[in-house]
Amino acid sequence: MIKIISLTTSLLLTLNIVFAAEAGMPQLDPTYWASQVFWLTIIFSAIYFLIAKIFVPKIKGNIDARESQIRKDIDEANTLKEEADKKLQKYNSLIDEAKLEARKILSESRKKINEDIQTKKEQIEKDIQKETLGATKEIEKFKINSLNKVNIISEEIVSEIIQDIFKEDLNKSSIKATVSEVMKERKNQI
Amino acid sequence: MATNPMHQFNVYKIGPEIKINGIDLSFTNASLFMLISAISISIFLLLGTKDKKIIPGKFQLLSEILYNFISKMISDTAGKKAKPYFPFIFSLFIFVLFCNMVGMLPYSFTVTSHIIVTLAFAMFIFIGVTILGFVIHGFKYLKIFVPSGVPVVLLPIIMIIEIISYLSRPVSLSVRLFANMMAGHTMLKVFGGFVISLGLVAGWLPLTFSVALTGLEILVAFLQAYVFAILTCIYLNDALNLHH
Repeated sequence: MIKIISLTTSLLLTLNIVFAAEAGMPQLDPTYWASQVFWLTIIFSAIYFLIAKIFVPKIKGNIDARESQIRKDIDEANTLKEEADKKLQKYNSLIDEAKLEARKILSESRKKINEDIQTKKEQIEKDIQKETLGATKEIEKFKINSLNKVNIISEEIVSEIIQDIFKEDLNKSSIKATVSEVMKERKNQI
Repeated sequence: MATNPMHQFNVYKIGPEIKINGIDLSFTNASLFMLISAISISIFLLLGTKDKKIIPGKFQLLSEILYNFISKMISDTAGKKAKPYFPFIFSLFIFVLFCNMVGMLPYSFTVTSHIIVTLAFAMFIFIGVTILGFVIHGFKYLKIFVPSGVPVVLLPIIMIIEIISYLSRPVSLSVRLFANMMAGHTMLKVFGGFVISLGLVAGWLPLTFSVALTGLEILVAFLQAYVFAILTCIYLNDALNLHH
């Protein structure tokens, strides 16, 4: 509180002293007006010409140079990007082509292999059939042969038995007829 | 009279007296500080344009920011037609800014705290813009005093108001800058004086104010330079594109 009071009083006192000393404003004293305007004109004109002829064009030049540089860089970057895009497209198309070709080759070779297998299979089947046919024929032949042989053997056995038992030769043709008859009966039974 | 807050605005001559036709054109401390500002601007811009780098250095960046700032300000307020006046607005802004900022240094002199300096600028702009308006639009430029869409009954009154407002442009333009600079510097000086007179007991309070006011004054210094430049742009816009 005391501080504030002392402050205000001293403030008022100082103000009093200050404004009592000199009330006028030096700005309104016209003694040096002409001089100020004169020197202002000279100095401001000088600084104006310096700025207008040297500094502003220089700063403008700097800014323009930077802008053109940036524009150039951006253009270059764009063209590079376009080129890269093209390259990428080319690369992609190449890959697609290669894939297509690979698929083609794959399907072709598969087809070929299948055909190959098919023909070989058919060949083998044919061979098997042929072999089987041959074998059947042979079997049939054997069958007939064996039957005939059985006939002959039976006839011989029969004639021998008869000879052993009856001590006389029987007519061969009648034995043959009987054997074949029996054989026929048997065959039918089988 | 070091404690007099108005003492800092005194103008005194440095060197020999120069008199032409009985008019005193001596080199004064005001002229010295104009010169100091001009040299500072030259050094600043010289550093800013020394290198031509794609990635700018500190000073180059500052000068380019300043360029773009003023360029945008002009194109926003006065359009494309104002492009030829870019160097003038640029010089005006940077000169007022540097004068204000140099004035913020202790024991320096603030060129723009003198009504005659700001009035010279304002009158030059006012006369220049008026001539420009008449050159571009001829007598049609007088349309600026006749706003469109105003009832005929009100027209005489509106016209008088418009003429007065137009004629008061240089006054408002110059007084705004001068009064701001003078008031700020006077206030700083007053608070600075309090620090001494109150001593160690209560001197810290005005010292705090002084510090805060210095920050404020730097803001005002920039702001007033900006306002001065943008008002010039607006006046220029009126002359270039007759809107009314």
